[in-house]
Amino acid sequence: MCGIAGVVFKDKKLHPVGKFMTRMLDALQHRGPDSAGFAIYGGLGLDEHEYLLNIEVKEKPGLLEEVKGKVNTAFPIESEEIIPSVENYIIYRCKVALDSFSQLKPLIMDVDKIEDVMVLNGAHSFEMIKDVGLVKEIAARYNTEDKMGTHAIGHTRFSTESIVDRYHAHPFQSYIIPDITVVHNGQITNYWKIRDPLERKGHIFETNNDTECIVHYIADKLAQDYSLEEALEQSVKDMDGPFSYIVGTPNGVGIAKDQLGLRPGVMAENNEVFAVASEEVALREVMDTSDIDQISPGESRAYTI
Amino acid sequence: MLTPSKDVEKMKEFKINAQQKTPREINRAIKQASQENDRIIIENPNAMHYLIAGLSKPVDVVVDGSAGYFAATMIHGARVHINGNAGWFPADNMTEGEVIIDGSAGDGVGQGIYGGTVVVRKDVGSRTGEIMKNGTIIVGGNSGFMSGLFMMGGRIIVLGDISDDAGESIIRGTIYVGGEIKSLGKNAKIEELEEEERAELKELLENYDFHLEEADYQKFHKIVPRSARPFYGQESEEG
Repeated sequence: MCGIAGVVFKDKKLHPVGKFMTRMLDALQHRGPDSAGFAIYGGLGLDEHEYLLNIEVKEKPGLLEEVKGKVNTAFPIESEEIIPSVENYIIYRCKVALDSFSQLKPLIMDVDKIEDVMVLNGAHSFEMIKDVGLVKEIAARYNTEDKMGTHAIGHTRFSTESIVDRYHAHPFQSYIIPDITVVHNGQITNYWKIRDPLERKGHIFETNNDTECIVHYIADKLAQDYSLEEALEQSVKDMDGPFSYIVGTPNGVGIAKDQLGLRPGVMAENNEVFAVASEEVALREVMDTSDIDQISPGESRAYTI
Repeated sequence: MLTPSKDVEKMKEFKINAQQKTPREINRAIKQASQENDRIIIENPNAMHYLIAGLSKPVDVVVDGSAGYFAATMIHGARVHINGNAGWFPADNMTEGEVIIDGSAGDGVGQGIYGGTVVVRKDVGSRTGEIMKNGTIIVGGNSGFMSGLFMMGGRIIVLGDISDDAGESIIRGTIYVGGEIKSLGKNAKIEELEEEERAELKELLENYDFHLEEADYQKFHKIVPRSARPFYGQESEEG
């Protein structure tokens, strides 16, 4: 089933968007108990070319030092943090300064070569938080309620085909261009038809998860100078299956729904906030309105700041 | 509108605060309260799913806010008034009664109803009245994709526009549309209304506080099936 949500504060100022997204996802908890995740944009305040890495590391003697050594050899670690997680894993967070964005994916792939280590993501303009378990547990583990930002997307997962772990928790991220994320409810049934041409262009797939396919598809379109609205509109024409998904970019949030309308999506908007979600109950956590729009089959909506 | 069984002044009223309760707890409380009360008010519903499921007593239930999915599913005889919006499948499989929604609603409004009346004052999502066997659905605004999908009886009245593939695989029943019909589904065709039907529509709509001009009634068209056996069998077997 899965629950998806997105919120944008239109004034471009920092708001407690982590708190709002936590509440939205908690309201959607019944749609999926396996994992949950956030992409919180605008609050990191990194300098140009600085990136925050989230690395899943098994609690094994010497393994964290090996990870630090690998990263440090490539790019000096500027700051770091360790977040305890579950199942004998920690999340090692470190900030590095690259010369350019093109160095990010190779660095991630290099660190991923270490056994029992997985880079969950690397980002410049948003903070990725995703883990297994319930929204409230994850929110407490990562202090999501304290996170400030301009906009965010989030997800509660009811897993269907892919395994349940931190990496397969949503959001998924693409590195075709910086900081594109997707949360998704549904299935892309023409998965290979979408994936094949993207791989032929050289885009790297790390999983067989259809959400990863969507995020690369959207990032590829944005890289070709499609607007977010145009990319979403085209995706609805190109993708088959039951789906609704939300895209996060450094300056906006958008939602798209399949042409048969087989997965839910609702939207509400006022002068301050644009919000989208699987259900009204989540929208009511960010605005006091009874004016709810149903996203129609094949429709997409977006708001950029 | 169905007439309340007793004068409002004499009605016994019971309030249920939905906050911090599960749908199962609330539905159990509604069923208990329906034994001795005429009117039940659900406060703080917060778009919760499955409210008023399976209620089979002819009581009034007011949802003071929005309801989630499957609001008033499988009710028989209750009169439900939702002050806010409803999610997917309100009044699903209702056999008798009334569900009035003041706001908008999601997909599958009145899915599979066998009787009773569903009223949504604003827009609704897709597949309104899918597989309904009888009863009435009134939509004050627009209705989405594949409204009346495999409809087998009853009537849907849409005051606004109806989206693509209206009446897809309709077998029996009628969809009245006051606005634009974007496209028809398989086995659906458009016909003009008889004056008797317009009068019948007017009586019904006025009863639910939809006050249209005479000219608006002239704009209505109806969508009906081409055949009752569109997929297999003989025309002589149409039932």
